[in-house]
Amino acid sequence: MSNFWFGEGLRKGRKTERFPHAPPEEPPLWPSVLEGSTDTFCPTDAIKDGKWDSGKCISCRLCMPEFRPTGKQDTFLIKKTEPALKKSFYLYKLDTGACGACNIELGTIFDPQYDANRLNIFITSSPRHADAIVVMGIQTEGMKEALKNAYEAMPEPKLIISLGTCAISGGILGDSPMSRDEYHIEIAGCPPSPYTILEAIAKARGE
Amino acid sequence: MHYKFGEPAGRYIGPGGNYHVYSSTISDVPPEGFEELPVHKMAPGEFNFQYGPSTGGLVESAGLQFITPGEMINSVQVDPTYKTRKLKMKGLDIERAILTVERINGFHASSNTIAFILAVEEALGMEPDEEVQKARILQLELERIRSNFEVLKRMGEPAGFGVPVNQIGFLRERVSRIISKAAGHRFFFGVNSPGSALISNSGLNEKLSEIRKEFDRIFSGLLQSKIFLNRLQNSCITKGKFLTGPAARAAGLRYDAREDSDSLPYDETPFVPVVHEDGDIFSRMIVRGEEIFNSFDIISSLGTVRETPGIKVEKGTGEGSARVESPQGDIFYYVKVNNGTLEDVWYVTPGTLNVRAFMESMKGNLFPDFHFNWESFGIWISELGVEIQ
Ligand code: SF4
Ligand code: SF4
Repeated sequence: MSNFWFGEGLRKGRKTERFPHAPPEEPPLWPSVLEGSTDTFCPTDAIKDGKWDSGKCISCRLCMPEFRPTGKQDTFLIKKTEPALKKSFYLYKLDTGACGACNIELGTIFDPQYDANRLNIFITSSPRHADAIVVMGIQTEGMKEALKNAYEAMPEPKLIISLGTCAISGGILGDSPMSRDEYHIEIAGCPPSPYTILEAIAKARGE
Repeated sequence: MHYKFGEPAGRYIGPGGNYHVYSSTISDVPPEGFEELPVHKMAPGEFNFQYGPSTGGLVESAGLQFITPGEMINSVQVDPTYKTRKLKMKGLDIERAILTVERINGFHASSNTIAFILAVEEALGMEPDEEVQKARILQLELERIRSNFEVLKRMGEPAGFGVPVNQIGFLRERVSRIISKAAGHRFFFGVNSPGSALISNSGLNEKLSEIRKEFDRIFSGLLQSKIFLNRLQNSCITKGKFLTGPAARAAGLRYDAREDSDSLPYDETPFVPVVHEDGDIFSRMIVRGEEIFNSFDIISSLGTVRETPGIKVEKGTGEGSARVESPQGDIFYYVKVNNGTLEDVWYVTPGTLNVRAFMESMKGNLFPDFHFNWESFGIWISELGVEIQ
C-alpha cells in the first residue's frame, strides 16, 4: 500500500504556489483591503472620518457600496521584525476565544497550496520552544491565565502576533485579549486569508 | 410555531436554553437515562493528567482530564468552558444578531446562520422562497464536504499519513476557494439574511466534479491502507442512543435532520442517509467519506442557484424554531422576536451529545487512540463554549 501512496505523491506533482514570491493565485474579496472615502455605517466603527481600519473590520459588507473590496491581501501591520528567526520560525498558537475560522486558516498555511514549511515556518506545541505566540479570538476569563503563562514561558526574542479582528480589537464579539500596542504584528481579517497570514508571518522575520 | 412545547416526542436532539429538544417537541423533561455520566473514582495505581487547555495537539482550547493506570484510559472528562464567550444577542435587531450567529462556530457558520434565520422567518411569518431554500442547501452541503475533508485530514495526522493528509488538505482548500468565489467569503459570512442568500453556483459543478474524482481515488486508497484501518477498527465504540450526526449514523442509527426535519426541502434532492453499524472510529470515518459523495450528488441536483438579493424585512413579533443537519449533527435554534428585536434566543449544539459520546467511547481504550477518536467526532468547542446574553 505504501507504494500506492508513494505513486500518488509523485502523480500529483508539486502543488505549492509561488506566493509570497508571486501574486496570490486566487485571492478572496472578503477579506481584502477595502477602498472608499465616504463615511458610512459600520457595526464595529472600522470606518471613521472616511478612513478604514483593517484591525476592526469583520468583512460584514454593510459598508457597501461606499467601501469596496479590492482583493489585495496585505491586511497586516508589522511593527517589529526578528531577522534572527529567518532560519526557523516556530509559532505557538493560542486560542483565547476564537470562533474556529481563524484556527482553520492558520492551519491552512501548512496545506500544499501554501506550504509554510518551505519558508521554515513551523508550529510548536510548547511556548518554551516558540519564537512567536499567535493569539486568536477575544478575551475570555478562562484563557487569561493560559495566555499569561505562555507569554512568560517563551524565550527572548519573542514576537506577539494577533491573528484576526477579535484578537486585534475585539471585533463584534467582545474585547481583545491584549492591547493593540502590545502586539508586534497585526494580521487583520475575519478571518484573515491564508495568503495574508503567510505573507505577514514571513515578513515578521524581516524578509 | 411548528415545534410545540410539551412532552418528549421523537429522538433526543439535546439540551438548549432551559429545555430539552426532541425531534418533534421542546420539553422541560430530560430523556430517561440522560443523567450526568458517572464520575470515575480513582483506583489504586491510577493517576490523572491534564491535557490542554492550550496545546498544539488541539485546534481549539479545551481541557481534557485523563485517568489511567498507564496506557489504558479509564476515564476522560472534557471541559469545553475555558474559552466560553459571553455573546450579547438579546435585544439586538436581526441584522446585527446574524453577525454574532455567524461567529458562534465560524467553520460551521452556514449551518448555524441558516438554522437561526429559518427560525426568524418562522417567527415573522415569512414563507421561505424556493430559490433561497436551494441556496441554503447548496451552502450546507459545501460546508459538509469541507468539514468532512477536515475531519478525514485530521484523522490521518496522528498516523503520520503524510500523502493522504496533504492531498485531502489540498482538496479542502480547493473547496474553500470555490466557496469564496460562489459566496464572496470563505466561511459564508455576510451571505445570509431572512429571505435572501448571496450565493450562486455558476461554474461550480465542473470544479466540484474534479474534486470528487480526486477524492474518489484518495478514499479508495485509504480503504486499502490496512495498517491505518487496523488502528480505527473496533476502537472507541459508541452505540448509545444519545448520539447525533455522523457518530449516530456510524452506530446504525438513521438520525439526520435532512430526513426528519422539514426546515429545508431535502426530499427534492437525492439525499440518502449514510448508515454503518459498528460504532467505532472506522465507521465514523467511512460515514464522513461516503457523505461527501452524497453531498456532491445533492449539489449537482440543485439546478441553477442564483444570488437572491436582500429584502426589506418587516418588524414582526412571534416565536420560531428550526433544525438543520450541520456536519457535526443536529443544530436547533429557538427565537422569540418582539417588534423586530430578539427577545429570546437559544440553540442546541450537536457538540453536547458528541462530547458525551466521545467520553464514553474512550473508556477502556488506549491513549494512542485518543487523537483518532477525538477527531472522528469533529467536535467544535467554539459552539459549546457560548453564553448567550
Ligand atoms: S465590511 Fe463591515 S466591518 Fe468592515 S468596514 Fe465594512 S461595515 Fe465595517
Ligand atoms: S476574527 Fe472573525 S474569524 Fe477570527 S475568531 Fe474572531 S470572529 Fe472568528
